Amino acid sequence: MNIVAKDFTPVTNVPPLKATRITKEYLGGSFKALDDVSFELHDNQITAFVGPSGCGKTTMLRIIAGLEYPTRGRLEVFGKNVQGPGPDRGMIFQAYTSFPWLTAMQNVEYGMKILKVPAAERRERTMNFLKLVHLEKFANAYPRALSGGMKQRVALARTLAQNPAIILMDEPFGALDAQVRWEMQELMIELIEREKKTVVAITHDIEEAIYLADRIIFFSRQPGRIKADIPLTFKGGRRIKQKEELLEMPGYAELERQLFAMMREEIK
Amino acid sequence: MSKSRDASVSSLENLPSENAEAAPLYIPPKERFFEFRRQPSAQRAAVLAFIGALAFFGLWEAGHYLTPAPARKFFPSIGEVGSALYVLFAERNFLHDVSISCGRIFVSFLAASAIGVPIGILMGCFGNIRALFNPTLTAWRYLPAASFIPLLLVWFGPTDQAKIALLFIGVIFFLISLVLDNTTAIQKEFVEAGLTMGASRRVILTGIVVPAALPAIFDSMRNMIAVSWTYLVIAEIVGAQDGIGAVMMRAGRFLNVDVIMAGIVTIGALGLLTDLIFRGACRVLFPWNVERRS
Repeated sequence: MNIVAKDFTPVTNVPPLKATRITKEYLGGSFKALDDVSFELHDNQITAFVGPSGCGKTTMLRIIAGLEYPTRGRLEVFGKNVQGPGPDRGMIFQAYTSFPWLTAMQNVEYGMKILKVPAAERRERTMNFLKLVHLEKFANAYPRALSGGMKQRVALARTLAQNPAIILMDEPFGALDAQVRWEMQELMIELIEREKKTVVAITHDIEEAIYLADRIIFFSRQPGRIKADIPLTFKGGRRIKQKEELLEMPGYAELERQLFAMMREEIK
Repeated sequence: MSKSRDASVSSLENLPSENAEAAPLYIPPKERFFEFRRQPSAQRAAVLAFIGALAFFGLWEAGHYLTPAPARKFFPSIGEVGSALYVLFAERNFLHDVSISCGRIFVSFLAASAIGVPIGILMGCFGNIRALFNPTLTAWRYLPAASFIPLLLVWFGPTDQAKIALLFIGVIFFLISLVLDNTTAIQKEFVEAGLTMGASRRVILTGIVVPAALPAIFDSMRNMIAVSWTYLVIAEIVGAQDGIGAVMMRAGRFLNVDVIMAGIVTIGALGLLTDLIFRGACRVLFPWNVERRS
């Protein structure tokens, strides 16, 4: 089970993503969503984009995905300049994007079909990923019959099965209720740990950011700039399997307090 | 996980059950006839539909008997229309006219769909295509189809083509704008998901946009074929030879109101049948979508 849909493995120590001086202007320059933003993502790290509404974090994510273009700046995936969207950067949306006309299984297969993965390999990978997201019993169900959390798991499996180098998540659990939300967070940690992916996740939820991320990039508002770049060292470089463990860790409460203070400062 | 942490949380599980006997039966408030958004059961819906139909036919019958005797023959009873219908089918080969009319509807609607649906989808997908066609098509929607009758008569004469062309014109421009709306209404993230999965534009169009929009497009087609039926009589005035409309126009000339009404009833029944066929087809074609409003 180490078959890859397409090989995006890094060649050297080049960062999986390098954003250089990204600026995004709207309305002919009168509104700046992003102002001279530069950062690098690190291999196999989960980075959370955090910030108040309207800080440009969604714009940044969509620029990485290639769904929007910056006004100025440069974007490199493993040292290669990228223009437009591509399967090297998989995206999971807040809205449910599992296709309602396909069964869960066909949905997971769909991305690999696009990449022309041979049928036998495709089927094997599909079943594997359905199992990983605990949906093997629902392989033949249409999304209509699935709950919100299950639909999001289909989307997660579909994206992972394509084996992208970078996974982008735009408030992926934003539409889910609290209990399903932490279940999904734990599942995501488990899968990312297993599949060794570089992830960028947007969230409003400070607790979610601290739980999921290895690093938090905090955006300020209007114009969108990086206000802080915080490595989550208090976790000791490991990922936490169960959420309640986080609450017991020294440093957690202090970090949450700091992030709330930063958020409050921005909203003012 | 350590157990000690749970100590502060008191557990309700161990409380003794106070009441072993069954809880009191909950009596819901009386259900009213005018209950907001309440769907009746299948039986009740059938009964209500029957009552509605009965009321209509009752009014019709009452209208017949309330009309003063000299004018009564211009408002025939249900029985008279029924027997006219029987005579039409049994003695005047009305089935031929019905099948001619159905054929015209079918051919014109097929042509309108074959052209209108792809154009609507392309306009819904691509802003440039939309900008290219939309202003012109909008103007066409405001032109009454009947105003083309003289033109079509000059071009085609009193032929089948003239009638089919009229039905085609009456439907296609509205169909295009409905399909355009259906296509733009699909969730935009479907297309974006396709883009980030590396799908080509052709794959996004045929593999994502079309299946996503198709159930709504089928609904639009169902609504537009109803419009097509409403144009039938107008279309068949053009050099009336055969077809339901022609039979009705001829009957009008001889003041055979029972035959005219028999024609109206026939078109109504065929319309209902068309609707049922479309709904059935939707259920078969889109099993993933059966919950859609009907």
